[in-house]
Amino acid sequence: MFLALREIRHEKLRYGLIVGMIVLVTYLVFVLSGLAYGLAQQNTQALDTWDASKIALNSDANDSLSQSLITKQTTDKLSLTKHEAYVGQAGVVAKAKGQAKLSAQFLGIQKNQFIYHRLTTIAGHKPTTNHQILVDDSFKDNGYRLGDKVTLNSLTGKYQIVGFTHNAKLSVAPVVYGTLPTWRSLSHVTPTYQAGGIVSDRSTFKGAESSLRTLSLSQFINKLPGYSAQNMTFSFMIGFLMIIAMVVIAVFLYILTMQKLPNYAVLRAQGIPAKVLVTTTITQALLLVVGGLLIGAGLTALTVSVLPFGVPLAFNVPLLVGVTGGILLTGVIGALIPVRIILRVDPVSVIGG
Amino acid sequence: MMPTLALKNVNKTFGHGTNEVQVLTGVNFEAVAGEVSLVIGPSGSGKSTFLTIAGGIQTPTSGEVLVEDRSLLALSGKARDAFRLNQIGFILQAYNLVPYLTVADQFTLVDRVKKQGNLSTTELATLLEQLGIAELTQQYPGELSGGQTQRVAIARALYQNPEIILADEPTAALDSDRVKVVGSLLHDLAKQHHKAIVVVTHDLRLQEFADKTYKIMDGRMTLS
Ligand SMILES: Nc1ncnc2c1ncn2[C@@H]1O[C@H](COP(=O)(O)OP(=O)(O)O)[C@@H](O)[C@H]1O
Ligand SMILES: [Mg+2]
Repeated sequence: MFLALREIRHEKLRYGLIVGMIVLVTYLVFVLSGLAYGLAQQNTQALDTWDASKIALNSDANDSLSQSLITKQTTDKLSLTKHEAYVGQAGVVAKAKGQAKLSAQFLGIQKNQFIYHRLTTIAGHKPTTNHQILVDDSFKDNGYRLGDKVTLNSLTGKYQIVGFTHNAKLSVAPVVYGTLPTWRSLSHVTPTYQAGGIVSDRSTFKGAESSLRTLSLSQFINKLPGYSAQNMTFSFMIGFLMIIAMVVIAVFLYILTMQKLPNYAVLRAQGIPAKVLVTTTITQALLLVVGGLLIGAGLTALTVSVLPFGVPLAFNVPLLVGVTGGILLTGVIGALIPVRIILRVDPVSVIGG
Repeated sequence: MMPTLALKNVNKTFGHGTNEVQVLTGVNFEAVAGEVSLVIGPSGSGKSTFLTIAGGIQTPTSGEVLVEDRSLLALSGKARDAFRLNQIGFILQAYNLVPYLTVADQFTLVDRVKKQGNLSTTELATLLEQLGIAELTQQYPGELSGGQTQRVAIARALYQNPEIILADEPTAALDSDRVKVVGSLLHDLAKQHHKAIVVVTHDLRLQEFADKTYKIMDGRMTLS
């Protein structure tokens, strides 16, 4: 620690540059991870609030809720309990007088079932009639207010916003909760169709009908349009970034170590054990990386606080721990590469002729 | 009297085949505690090679190095490090201070690695006073003149309070007055503190402080 600190103090510019580089890499990795997580969340937030484990869809719907239709004939044959709930999905464009159009996902649900019970409002109340809707609070950010009368697609009727709910996003669009009859109108189907899908919070649930296919909710989420591709893209970007960061940090530490070899040779000649020099190098790398991480995390926090609405930046503890651990590991590996050279340093090289 | 440091029939060659150079040939040497042994020879005669072999930094091609009758060559790398740290004070010819440590920190570093047996604070202060570098403790090596650097290097080696001091051209950058200071300091260390002191140099001004003088020429050593 002594040698490591003294050297950093004496070579402020050189070490400052390295810390600066680590800060930038850290910042980029944090922000990218945050965006990846934030986007992933906006794909599934609405589903997460239901706390469901299975969903049954029409087997011809290619695992897509918005493509799925289940007839009343089919549902009548199932013995559904209070653990199951009907849901129907339709893409909508919402418009209120004097407001911008908003693309949203309409979810039709039934009043006495568990999805309805688990919804929470941050303002107003849950819909009680066909012409009432509960909407995601991003509507509020876009200027919509309680009581606004909204048209959905080209339906003639008006739907009144009676409540706002928080974190209701599906496929990165705000959710509009309404009734199943409204969903039928939006999907242009007759009442012979009961719902789009049947959601259950029991892990043992199975839609035991040949026309139905039952998926776990995580299977269903992975089939959401674009969801897997998006996550994979981010994972690759973050993975590559980590590898590049490791190479860059390793190269810097390598160059740094090479420049210090004459000093190390002097110390070796004086009988200072190679172990001390190796410890010094690794301590130094850790100090630089931890310093860079702290500043990078600070910058990220600052960014989050000044970022405008709508940029989906979100973090959770496992994500932060993973990213931080990855960068720390990167630094240690970078510092370990030149260890062999330190161990072989030849004190004779500094004893001049 | 048992010699503190002895080299027996030491040969050293570098390179192979047609590139082979014999730098030391049949060197026999003894240094005893309480004496200053001087090795005088021109540049390229093998002085530094001799000194690094004596200090366990290099191994000879053949021959034996004995410290208090124990073979230095038989020691493991780790044990040789410990030997250098605890029993040998190297005063290197050039570039022998760590550039990012102030003069004071050069001594602190020794304390960190070698926890005991170093000079006390007052002994160090006296030493720095004697060498005329007491004012320089907060300077970095880059801010020192050649002569000041050399004296700091001497102080650093003596700080470890080793039994054997190996000095390579310790007076190269010093004027005659400073040569006298360093010469009598080494002489006093031998006499009062019972150290074995080996100085290799081409500086004839040091001869008056030596108890015995070897001559080295083309890798062959003779006692004069
Ligand atoms: N590692 C080495 N490889 C080849 N030749 C060497 C090496 N070290 C020293 N020499 C040669 O050995 C001779 C003696 O060198 P040295 O011991 O440094 O002499 P001095 O210190 O007396 O000037 C010189 O000719 C030098 O070129
Ligand atoms: Mg020399």
